[in-house]
Amino acid sequence: MKPEARERNREHMVLDTNVLSRRSSWCAPNRPGWRHFYELLLIGTGFVALVPLLRAHRVTDFMIFCIFAMSFDLLYGYMGRLSFGHLLYLGAGAYGAGLALRYVTSNPFLAILLGTALACLLAMLVGTVAVRATGACFALINLAFNQTGWFLVMSPLRRITNGQDGFGVEAMRLGWIDFGDANFRFWFVLLVLLLTFSVLKRLVSAPYGVLVRSVKEDEMRVRFLGYNTYFYKWLTFVISAAVAGLAGTLTALNYAYVNPNTMDVHKNVGAVFACLIGGAGHLYGALVGGVVYMLISNFLPVYIRCWEMFLGFALLIVVFRFRQGIWGSLQVWFSQAAAIGRLRSHSGKEALLK
Amino acid sequence: MIYTLMYGLTIGAILYFISIGLSLTFGTMRVTNFAHTITYTIGVYVLVALVQEANMSYSLAAALSILAVVPIGYVIERFIIRRLYGDSLDYTFIATFAVSLIGVDVVKWIWGVQPKALGDPIKRYVDLAGFMFPLYRLIIVGIAIALFLALQVFMKRTMVGKIIVAALEDRDKVRCLGIKLDKYFSSAFVLGSVLAALGGVLYAPITSIHPYMGTAILLLCFAVVIVGGMGNLKGTFLAAFALGMVIAITARYWPPGAETMVFVVMAIVLMFRPIDV
Repeated sequence: MKPEARERNREHMVLDTNVLSRRSSWCAPNRPGWRHFYELLLIGTGFVALVPLLRAHRVTDFMIFCIFAMSFDLLYGYMGRLSFGHLLYLGAGAYGAGLALRYVTSNPFLAILLGTALACLLAMLVGTVAVRATGACFALINLAFNQTGWFLVMSPLRRITNGQDGFGVEAMRLGWIDFGDANFRFWFVLLVLLLTFSVLKRLVSAPYGVLVRSVKEDEMRVRFLGYNTYFYKWLTFVISAAVAGLAGTLTALNYAYVNPNTMDVHKNVGAVFACLIGGAGHLYGALVGGVVYMLISNFLPVYIRCWEMFLGFALLIVVFRFRQGIWGSLQVWFSQAAAIGRLRSHSGKEALLK
Repeated sequence: MIYTLMYGLTIGAILYFISIGLSLTFGTMRVTNFAHTITYTIGVYVLVALVQEANMSYSLAAALSILAVVPIGYVIERFIIRRLYGDSLDYTFIATFAVSLIGVDVVKWIWGVQPKALGDPIKRYVDLAGFMFPLYRLIIVGIAIALFLALQVFMKRTMVGKIIVAALEDRDKVRCLGIKLDKYFSSAFVLGSVLAALGGVLYAPITSIHPYMGTAILLLCFAVVIVGGMGNLKGTFLAAFALGMVIAITARYWPPGAETMVFVVMAIVLMFRPIDV
C-alpha cells in the first residue's frame, strides 16, 4: 500500500472514531440493545393484541394518536412546556401531505416527507417566537398560532385547501404498498410508531434528554452551567412538532381525507389528557394515556351523553389526586414491590444466618 | 367609519368587563383561569331563560342573572381555585379547563346546543351629529367607563380594594401583615365572575348565544390581559378598547380575519415583551 493511501486511511479511521464517540454519547451508555428490542416487541404485541377487540382500523387510529401523544409528551412531559396549540403541527402535517398528494406527487412516501417537512418548517418559524415565553404565555401563544393556522386554512387559503369541506386524498399504489388497504395501513402505522418510539427513547435517554429535563426543573440553573437553553428549547419544539406532523401525514393517509377539524383548537385537550392520565414525562405513559383517551373518546359517547363532563371530572381527579398518572403509579408500585422483595430476601438471609 | 368606531367601542367595553376578572385572578392568585367565562355563559343563559320563558323585563332579568352567578363563582373558587394557589401553572390551567368543560356540558344539558337569540331590549336610536347610534350600545360603553372609574375609586379608597392592590404587588408581604388573603381572593374572584356575567348579559342581545360562546371570547380576553399586562387594571382597560378597535377595523375591511388579527397583535406584543410567569 502506498504511504499516501495509508495516510488517507488513517484519516478515515480518525473520522470514524470521532463519529463513534459522538454516537456513544448520543445514545445512553450501558444500554443493552436487546432490552430496547424487547421493549419494541412488547409495544408491538400490545397493539396487535388490541386488534381482535377493536378491529384494525380503530387500532390504527389509536396508534396515530399515540404518536401524537408522544410528541406532545416530549414537549410537556419532558421539557415542562404546556402547549395548547400542538394540533397546529398535526394539521400542518395532514395538510402538507394532502396538498402534496393533490398537487405535486402521488407517491405516498414523498407526501409523508413533505408533510413532516412542512410541520417542521412551521415549527421553526413559530418556535423562534413561542419558545421565549413560559408557563401560561407559552400555552396561550401556541393557542393563538393554532387559531391563526386554522383560520388561514378555513379562509384565506380556501382556494387550495377547499375551506371547511376539506378534500379527498388519493395515494399511488407502489407494488404491494397500498394505502387503500386497511391491513397495510395498520402494519405501516405500527412500524412508524415503533420507529418513532425508538428514536424518541434514544433522544430522551441521551445527554440531550437530561438537559431537556433539567430545563423543566430549573432553566436558570441550566443557563448558569453555560448551555444555550433557548436553542435547546427551540430544538425540542421543532422535534416535537415534526413528530406531530408525522402523525398528521398518517392521519391524512389513513382517512384519505383532510379537513380543518384536524387542527381544531379544542381537541388539544385530548393530548393533554392523554399525557396526564398516562403519566407525563414517560414515553410509555404517553402510549398508555393515548390508548385510554381514545378508548374513552370512542366508546364513552356511545353510552353516556355528557362525556365531556366525564372527561372534565376525570381531569380534575387526575390533577388533584393522581398526578403521576397510570405509568407513574405503576412505576412506584413496581419499585415498592422490588424494595419489599429485597427486604424479604435480606431478612430471610439474616434469619438463615441466625 | 364612525359606525366602525362605535362597534369597536362596544366590543372593547364587553372585552373589558370580562377581562377584569381574568386580570385580577391572574395578578393576585397566579391562576390562569380557563373557567372564567363559564360564569359569562351561564349568566347569559339564565338571562335568556328569564326573559323568554318567565317573561320578565330585561333589566330585572339581567340583575337576577348576575346575582345567580355569585354562588357559582364562589363554589368554583372555594373548591377548585383555592386548592391550586402556589401550584404549577400547568395544573391550574388543566384543572380550570376541566371546570370549563364541565360547565359547558351542563349548559348543553340544560338548555341544548341550539343557538338562541335575544332582540335589542331598547330599540331606540340616538342622533349624534347626524349619525344614528343604537342607544343600547352607547349605554354599554357608558357602563364600561363608569365601571372603570368606580373600580379605580374602589381600589384606591376602600380597604378591600387596597388589600387587593397590595396583593397584586406582593402577596407574601401582605400575609406578613397578618391579613388573611384567602377571604379577599375569594371576594376578588366573585367580583370578577360577576363582572364577566355583566359583560355577558350586556352582550347577549347583540350576539349569538350558544354553549361555546364562552370559549370563543375567552381567547380574546386572554389576548387583552396579555397585551394590557397581567394584573394591571388600567392596562386592561386600554388594551380592551384598543383590541376592540382592532377587531372593528379589521372586520370592516376583511371580515373573516377580525378575530385572528387580535392574536397577531398579541403575538407581536409577546415578541417584544415576553412575560415571564
